[in-house]
Amino acid sequence: MYYVAEAKADKCSTYKCNQCVLFCPEPNTLMFLQAKNFAYVNQARCKGCAICVYVCGDLLKRNCIEMVMTTVSE
Amino acid sequence: MGLEYVRITTGFEDYMPKDYVDLVKYGQFGKEYDIQDLGTFKELVEEHPMCAGCFMAYFIRVFYASLPNPEDSIVIGTAGCARLQLSQAAVPFIYGNYGDTNAVASGLKRALEIRFPDKNKDVIVVAGDGGLMDIGFGMTMHSWFRRERFTTIMVDNEVYGNTGGQESGMSPKGVQLKMAPKGKKFDKINAVELAKAAGCVYVARIAPTNPKRLAKTIKRAILAARHFGPTFIHAYTSCNIEYSIPTEKVLEDARNREKNDFAFYEWMSDEVKGFFEQVETKKKEAQEVK
Repeated sequence: MYYVAEAKADKCSTYKCNQCVLFCPEPNTLMFLQAKNFAYVNQARCKGCAICVYVCGDLLKRNCIEMVMTTVSE
Repeated sequence: MGLEYVRITTGFEDYMPKDYVDLVKYGQFGKEYDIQDLGTFKELVEEHPMCAGCFMAYFIRVFYASLPNPEDSIVIGTAGCARLQLSQAAVPFIYGNYGDTNAVASGLKRALEIRFPDKNKDVIVVAGDGGLMDIGFGMTMHSWFRRERFTTIMVDNEVYGNTGGQESGMSPKGVQLKMAPKGKKFDKINAVELAKAAGCVYVARIAPTNPKRLAKTIKRAILAARHFGPTFIHAYTSCNIEYSIPTEKVLEDARNREKNDFAFYEWMSDEVKGFFEQVETKKKEAQEVK
């Protein structure tokens, strides 16, 4: 079990914003779907640093990303 | 090097690794993306073994995303954290011995100018504070004295993070580290002023708190090095392990440091300034025509 980020698509798509994507230290991990206007996490690559949670929650007060527990998928 | 080396031979698309196919189809080769488009294209750099929340990793991610011509670039690194990620990208990477990055880059740039006289080949050194300002100090300074035309980027984590936390010339005065418990007695080296005095034509100091400005600075440093002379970027890339910064506070720490001693600073010679003004007016004109 370990922590990864999870973006709430329905809440995220209400904002015109991709700031979390611009501050993730991992490449090709926090992605942005332009057609539907929301960010999503490639959880197999996420290291769980929670910088995106700081950007979305503390800086922008939008709270669209949270850390969740996950298990290794086979 | 060059676009023809990147392309997949017809018939082999089904047998190449998925990541490589994605890189050719949706990657940066031959296209120009804005840094604001991050997350919508396949990035040059792949999964890497840097620590969770490492801001050096973040800097290097933005660095690769803002390369003006990745297919015509060579990156040179040395021992230190940065090389763990620099070597995981689809851009040729050369591992210099500790301290000789700028000497290797000098020779490489000269050779490329002879081999490809009609092309712009960018040589970029990305090394840590130890590699450039401590152990590699002499070679770094002499490459600037000789006015070699390549970019030097110092990713400054203010400590020898790979080997357990020894103080470096760039550690701030008074700081106590795991392998330097008495506290540092001397001031941080003023690398930016040294670079200016040594003959760099473009010098910047930056904390990675604004991706747009960061990308612009990196692009400018590379373009100025193509035509005029040595360029230097001093970037603050904290070590959250040795400085015990909780990962979610890494950006907050960078913002605080930016307010104190890492305020954005950019200096360029008059001819470089004139060059960028020309480039920007041309860009504006092109946009107006569209």
